[in-house]
Amino acid sequence: MTGYALVLASGELEKLTAASTIASIAAASDVPVDIFVTMNALTAFEHETVETGSFQTGPVGQAMLESEETEIPLFTEQFRDAKALGPLSLYACTMAMDLMGRTLDDYVDVFDDTLGVAGFLSHAEDKQVVFI
Amino acid sequence: MSEHTPDVTVDARGAGCPGPLMDLIGKVKTVDEGTVIELQTTDSGSKDDVPEWLEKAGHELLDIVDQGDYWSIYVRKT
Repeated sequence: MTGYALVLASGELEKLTAASTIASIAAASDVPVDIFVTMNALTAFEHETVETGSFQTGPVGQAMLESEETEIPLFTEQFRDAKALGPLSLYACTMAMDLMGRTLDDYVDVFDDTLGVAGFLSHAEDKQVVFI
Repeated sequence: MSEHTPDVTVDARGAGCPGPLMDLIGKVKTVDEGTVIELQTTDSGSKDDVPEWLEKAGHELLDIVDQGDYWSIYVRKT
């Protein structure tokens, strides 16, 4: 195995944060991670969603947003920090972008490129796929 | 107090997982071999998770000291 290919399909803050946490430590430890962001997960990366903090959450997500004692960086910041430390790449799904009429400029600046299904499968070929 | 004198200190107090470990990894990458790093953390998970990472990454765990309201984890880059 030469790393992980993560599919982020859910817009839930908890799932995005679990993914960014695991991906960050893996990449910082020099384990390659490619992340394909699709479906509602893409909406969570939009500037407006991030700026207003209007994420889908359950109780843990609420606690993460509100906790004053323990600082958990937002998943977008975790991805950005991890990219500086190791082999981590993020790709936005062209299909979901087209459906929602979005371009890469509509998202926070963490994406390396856009990608379709064939592109993702080619990135995932030698990796363990994790669907979130 | 610990018998280890750190060359650099990483203050990650107040940060939740994965903050302290990320801060440590970031520091380990920039320092020379043999450097002793003190990681200060209030995240109780760090006590188990940092040693786990150190073993995998091949760096040396020198000591974990309970400072009362935080922990000091002493690490030597190999």
